[in-house]
Amino acid sequence: MRYGAAGSAAVRTGGPVLEMRRAVRGYGTGDARVTALDGVDLSLDAGSWTAVMGPSGSGKSTLLHCAAGLDTLDSGQAVLLGEDLSGADDKRLTRLRRGTVGFVFQNFNLVASLTAEQNVALPLRLAGREVRREDARRALAAVGLADRARHRPREMSGGQQQRVAIARAMVTQPKVLFADEPTGALDSTSARTVLGLLRNMADSTGQTIVMVTHDPSAAAAADAVVFLADGRVIDRMEQPSAHRVADRLASLEV
Amino acid sequence: MLTLSLSTLRDRKQLFAGALVAIALGVALVQSSLHVLHSVSDPAIPARLSRAERDDMRENYVGAAVTMGLQAPLVVFLAILVVGSTCSFAVAQRRRDLALLRVLGAGRGQTKRLLATESLLLGVAGALLGAPLGVAMTWVQTRLLEHVGFVPAGFEPVYWHWGSVLAASAAGAGIALLGSWSAARRAARIRPLESLRETGAAARVMTRGRWCVGVVCLALSVVLVVGAQSADPIGAITIAMTLSIVGAVALSALSPLVVPLAARLFGMVFRRSPLGALAEANIRDGARRTASVAAPLITLVSLVLGLSGALGVLARSIGVEQERLTRGDIVVASANGEQAARLAGVPGVADVSSQLTVPVPVTAEVRKDGTRAARPHTFEDRVVAVDAAAYARARTLAPKSGSLADLHGDTVAVGPALPAEGFSAPKVGDTVTVAVAGTERKLRVVAVLPETLDIGDRFLLPREILPAGVLAAAASESIVTVAPGVPVAEVEERIRAAGIGGTATVAEWADRRAEAQQDGNDKIFAVLLGLAGVYALVGVVNALVIATAERRAEFAVARLSGLERPQVVRMAVVEACAVAAIGLGLGSVVAAAGMAGMAKSTAAVTGTAIVVVPWGTLAATVLGAFAVTVTAAVVTARAATRERPAALAAART
Repeated sequence: MRYGAAGSAAVRTGGPVLEMRRAVRGYGTGDARVTALDGVDLSLDAGSWTAVMGPSGSGKSTLLHCAAGLDTLDSGQAVLLGEDLSGADDKRLTRLRRGTVGFVFQNFNLVASLTAEQNVALPLRLAGREVRREDARRALAAVGLADRARHRPREMSGGQQQRVAIARAMVTQPKVLFADEPTGALDSTSARTVLGLLRNMADSTGQTIVMVTHDPSAAAAADAVVFLADGRVIDRMEQPSAHRVADRLASLEV
Repeated sequence: MLTLSLSTLRDRKQLFAGALVAIALGVALVQSSLHVLHSVSDPAIPARLSRAERDDMRENYVGAAVTMGLQAPLVVFLAILVVGSTCSFAVAQRRRDLALLRVLGAGRGQTKRLLATESLLLGVAGALLGAPLGVAMTWVQTRLLEHVGFVPAGFEPVYWHWGSVLAASAAGAGIALLGSWSAARRAARIRPLESLRETGAAARVMTRGRWCVGVVCLALSVVLVVGAQSADPIGAITIAMTLSIVGAVALSALSPLVVPLAARLFGMVFRRSPLGALAEANIRDGARRTASVAAPLITLVSLVLGLSGALGVLARSIGVEQERLTRGDIVVASANGEQAARLAGVPGVADVSSQLTVPVPVTAEVRKDGTRAARPHTFEDRVVAVDAAAYARARTLAPKSGSLADLHGDTVAVGPALPAEGFSAPKVGDTVTVAVAGTERKLRVVAVLPETLDIGDRFLLPREILPAGVLAAAASESIVTVAPGVPVAEVEERIRAAGIGGTATVAEWADRRAEAQQDGNDKIFAVLLGLAGVYALVGVVNALVIATAERRAEFAVARLSGLERPQVVRMAVVEACAVAAIGLGLGSVVAAAGMAGMAKSTAAVTGTAIVVVPWGTLAATVLGAFAVTVTAAVVTARAATRERPAALAAART
């Protein structure tokens, strides 16, 4: 299975897939005001796997949400694949979610009442596309769960549920996969399996992945790490190793 | 999309079972009310009965039809309220699910369509279940009517009338669709990001629609309360009944505003216990949930207290009015006119005014309920023979037109009953026909008495036009004035000793009139609110079950943080008590507002502000509300904590 086979020329050529300029996003008012993003400038290339790291409250998740069109910036710009998200209405954002981006969450967010296969097929159904059983089966096979198609989430381990979630995210062949702490709720073996899957996707098809994580060893699986502190990008590391990431992070948290 | 709907149905059993129960019972209740109304409006009256028996039966049927005519819209209102609030609550509980679908690419229209499909499925299922249930409910309602005497024993209603069945089913499905429609529109505005938040309760509780309904109904309630103060007592009582519905809707809609206050009160009571503090936080945090459970309770309490209060005021007013209209000391009920005639001879009796109920049919040209053409109508009951002068001394009710002094010879006075029964009263100068001992006589109307709260007599005839034999045999009620200086009790004793009849002081007699009215009112109350009340209670339990079942994960987290299972159940009980208190409190506020209107109005008419607090009903309502909510909370909280907490807390809910 080749993920992202329909990836656009822009992705292939390695141009910027996501650009944020002076991105600001805050919550609450008055004394309770928290500025989650305080002027983020960021550019991510297509075909790369970037990990976003930082201490708790550094704005990691907000950055992911704003980059993916789930949340809107107060000011500044977020441009995803050439489309300015700040001006996009609900229709355009819905279209974006149907084909351009995919999501994987820490707590899997599978629909408990649906089987693995039905969960995977759900985005296709919602997009009104023709659903062929092979599509869902193939996506499940790609994450090594061909034999679990008929199982419901509660009959699967956390690692298996997360792999179903990845299959669900990839079934629409998104150009960018957003992952929010994808290994946060997993044991180390399952986490390694999931990271291996992502690595494989990045290597074989040049899948663009943006991943928020706490875990230095997860970040080490990515091509590059962006460090965030107090709502700003403060550092960037290419070819990270768990050691170097941990050290850098420790220096931030002091 | 349909698979998704069906699989969600499977997954959220309690949620949908709750909505289904609400719809099915609502449909059944509406359908049965329509059937019973239909049956009593067009009853078959056996020809073999005597004319008096047939009239009696017809009168009872009319009473049943009037009561059912009030009950049917009440039931429809309750169905709208319970089904609507259950359906919109069910949608509100699923915000996270819906937000997740949005993340996965569902558009706004799709979210709306999904919810509409679901509620349509539920509505159709509810209607299918409700129709057969309605047959059983029709039987129950008929037996209730039979029990209170509105219909003769063995009365058989229509059990299946397609029109009623279809109307009820369509109403049920329609209400379900409407109930979830506003919720669906709100759900369509759910932002995908909400699926990622820790709690799905990010929804604003006081939505614009809620504000609108609450404020409009509150304004209407104020208008009603003010209007009641200047209305006549009957009007004020009608207004109080309307107010118990409008006010309940207003306070139900605005109840989330009261929740934090109630939470603080509870927090003060349970300050020492960490459980109390947790419960307080939960009540405050789950304002939407608290309000959803409280809404049917507010309505139930306001209806029960408002209606029983209004009916109580009506009965008490009748007593007060009758006492005020009567000038005398003792009322004597005699079996016949001959006995009554001996009253004047009893020592210590200064004056006697006897009213003899005579079996003389009176035929008058009257219009009924505003129909245009006057038709001859024969009245057989409550035709009373009086001595005009004595009557005028004992009764202070002044004629609206004409004069009782002219009630001599071939004349008649029109009593208060005719307008109260919906007939147009003949005017002074009109003639009516009476049949006395086989001969017809024409009588000229010389006086028309005004309407009173008590139905009263239909026609007053001068006694001298009736043969002595008729008068001697007629049952009599006499108002006796005791000579100055003679103890009333002594005269009463003498009257009883002489075998003239049973005696009562005027005050006692007036109280008995009020009690008799109250007995009739109790029947009406039972028919009006018997099943409807049970349905509202089902709504309360329903909302509570849905609310608790949806909190499995929350309970699991509480247990992981160190609470034992019984403690979680106790916490749920404390919260349920708070909800019951909010429902009782706000419902009582509505009932009290209605009572204030009636007090002012009755004060203007009878000189006494009549306030009736239905203590028995109040106590039963308070105990019932707490018993039901606490039981439901214990059962559902135990069920929701059955699984191991670790498994639940980890599961996405």
